[in-house]
Amino acid sequence: MSRWKYFLQRLVLTVPILLLAMSIVFLIVRAGPLDPARAIVGMGNPAGYHDVAVDLGIERAVRVDGEVRYVDVPLWQQYVDFMAGLLTLDLGQSWVIYPETSVYEVIALRAPRTLWLGFWSVLIALFVGIPLGFYAGLNPNTWGDYTASFGGIVWRAMPNFWLAVILVAVLSNSQQLFGFSWQQLVVPTNVVTAPNLGFLTDPGMFLSDPGRAFNQLLGATKQILPAAIVLGSSSMGNEMRIGRTAVLETINSNYVETARAKGVSARSIVWKHVFRNALIPLIPIITAEAFLLIGGSVIVEYIFAINGLGQLFFTAATKGDLPLVGSLAFIFILLTLSLNVLQDFLYTIIDPRVGYEEN
Amino acid sequence: MTGTEHAVHRSLRTRIRENQRPAAVWVAVLLALVALEAGALVDLTVVLVQGMVKAWPFGNPGMAGIESAKAAAEAIPTLLSRETIPNQGWRTSANGPWTNTFLGLEPMVAWLLRFALTYAYVGVLIGWFLYGYRLYREHYRQADWTPTDDVVRRFRSHSWGKFGFVVVVVFVVMAVFAPTLSPALAEENIENPYSYEMQYFDEETGSVETVFVGQANSQSTSQGAGDDNIGLWQYDDFGRFHPFGTMPNGKDLFTFMMYGARVSLFIGLLSMGIMGAFATVFAMTTAYYKGLVDLAVVIVGDSVMSIPQLLLLILAMAVFNGHWLEGIYNGGLLIALVFGLSGWPGLWRAVRGPAFQVSTEEWVDAARSFGQRPSATMRKHMLPYVVGYLLVYASMTLGGVIIGTAALSFLGIGIDAPTPEWGRAVSLGQPFIATQSWHIAMIPGLLVVAVVTAFNALGDGIRDAIDPQSEGGESETTAAAAGGGGG
Repeated sequence: MSRWKYFLQRLVLTVPILLLAMSIVFLIVRAGPLDPARAIVGMGNPAGYHDVAVDLGIERAVRVDGEVRYVDVPLWQQYVDFMAGLLTLDLGQSWVIYPETSVYEVIALRAPRTLWLGFWSVLIALFVGIPLGFYAGLNPNTWGDYTASFGGIVWRAMPNFWLAVILVAVLSNSQQLFGFSWQQLVVPTNVVTAPNLGFLTDPGMFLSDPGRAFNQLLGATKQILPAAIVLGSSSMGNEMRIGRTAVLETINSNYVETARAKGVSARSIVWKHVFRNALIPLIPIITAEAFLLIGGSVIVEYIFAINGLGQLFFTAATKGDLPLVGSLAFIFILLTLSLNVLQDFLYTIIDPRVGYEEN
Repeated sequence: MTGTEHAVHRSLRTRIRENQRPAAVWVAVLLALVALEAGALVDLTVVLVQGMVKAWPFGNPGMAGIESAKAAAEAIPTLLSRETIPNQGWRTSANGPWTNTFLGLEPMVAWLLRFALTYAYVGVLIGWFLYGYRLYREHYRQADWTPTDDVVRRFRSHSWGKFGFVVVVVFVVMAVFAPTLSPALAEENIENPYSYEMQYFDEETGSVETVFVGQANSQSTSQGAGDDNIGLWQYDDFGRFHPFGTMPNGKDLFTFMMYGARVSLFIGLLSMGIMGAFATVFAMTTAYYKGLVDLAVVIVGDSVMSIPQLLLLILAMAVFNGHWLEGIYNGGLLIALVFGLSGWPGLWRAVRGPAFQVSTEEWVDAARSFGQRPSATMRKHMLPYVVGYLLVYASMTLGGVIIGTAALSFLGIGIDAPTPEWGRAVSLGQPFIATQSWHIAMIPGLLVVAVVTAFNALGDGIRDAIDPQSEGGESETTAAAAGGGGG
């Protein structure tokens, strides 16, 4: 099987996976014990209930002898409508959190903060985790290796919510604890609350009013850093561990030995032969990291009061905005699956062994 | 099978019958050890059954019977119990001797004694099982050497794995012996404090007074400011000793942690059982049949995995809010079910490799052409090879489940109050981290870190023991993804 055929196969597989995953969401949202229309109107509002139910496609209004009656739409019909809506990218509207607002608008409002958070947490995890792991792998069984490895293991075992809570407390009281105020450091900001991302929506500001724009960029970065460190914590630990093993494995492999025997300089061995190959096992970790971020953002956004997509999902679920929850779940699933495809694509390009074992 | 083989291979029962003494002694001592703590065991079983029945949607059949069983369980004399070694008492005069505590000891010493004895008891019990394994090897096993010996030997020299094992045991003992280890009963101190009374020596009136536990709690709160703090290793004004201090509402944090361990362990084990069952069945069938069966499970598994687990949990908790299923163990059963039903693909993927590997072995091929039923082939010739790997990843995933449950409770949608759950303690203590009442949020977090690290270490240890060649690689990738799980 050629490599590209393998990739194509993976791509085609994504379609049934998406359909099945959405069916699971449909089952929970529509066939679960909570009636979505009831959740929206609350208890004891029969008239309003029917309007919402008709809008959601749970009930249908029929005229019998000039009188309006409401008939339940069968579940299979609801299923077809639900799937058709999502697949034609008709995400509907929010009912409780942002009444009468289309899901696209809601996402456009909330997504930048989550993306900003995700961007930094991936970046921090990459630039701390991989170098530490490679360092530990290049100096195995030294004190530096032990410290890094043990730190990575413990760091990974820390629950995000606990780490976030501690960090918020420490930063809020940095004046008493460390003698300098985090809030006043470089740019005055709060410890919790969402960063101001005006410069993202209006990039022209960097030309028209660069002073303000850079100030905003600095402030937004500083505000997101603690949250990003927490969110990236488990991935950082993973990247470190995998990086260490990958380096150890490549450094002991035959071709490195050969290169050494040929007299290739140690520097060239490390950079050309070890690092590039050690990066391969890190690919799934990096893509899996993005996946962890989606789930983890709920907790981190909740604690740092960043009203992004994760917090939106949480409030929508707890406040009974099930139509919004369904659409958000669709977006998240789509995101995960695209990441999987990206991972397969990277593998296909980088690793010549792909597709080989299938034969 | 030929007749001569039968003569050589005698069943374990026959071997024991031929040499009864070591086995008889071992069983007798074991029974004596168990009898010492029979009350605690019955109590735990009754609590579990009670939780099931309480939430049964169709009336409460046999609730009275369970109540009487509970009373009977409490009546069984137990060596290490609050009745034998009581730690809650009062002084009869200012700085006078303590009454109602064990031997008139001060509450701290009485509690410490009971705590230490409980762990000593478990230590002896574990030691006795190890001794039993040695007896078996010496007297009853036919082979001088089996591969298991090497696995055990490798694990014994794996100090990281042993560390994990010890901490896991400490955690499990917390869960099983929660009523014994706690300075107070959860029922009295946490769940219904206004239904129980206690006595204490009041320095102002100079006499022994009686108050509701709830009243005493409300005067022993830890809320950061001023005198409002009962920190680590301190007594409150009512002569009660708090090893971990009190919570913002005055309840005992140590008791809360012990009972919380029970909840975490229950959810962890149940979800692991569900995951393990799915993962085993699918790993066996996909490795045996390959092709379309494998493809189907890949698709189903990937679909389940494409929904972030924490989001699925939040959604399920919201949708099932108020449903009878959510009532069982205050939501514990529901959480365990969601974890189990959404977590199996990870576990399955982790053991898929080893399962495929063993399915290509000659003996599987031989069994197949021999005409053995597929289920028998899977069970006898493939499963033993995969079980070890399952244990490894189950151990590592368990940490993720504990973190996830705590995260849900922290968000306020997991285990309902007043049932203790570690995550809720963090959320209650959150406003006081930077004050003198830092212990409320810090201690649960540190315990989670310790327990999760220990489960990972145990998994590492087992893996290195069953498969010394595997230095990370593919296996570690999956484990790493399992460990951090969202929360």
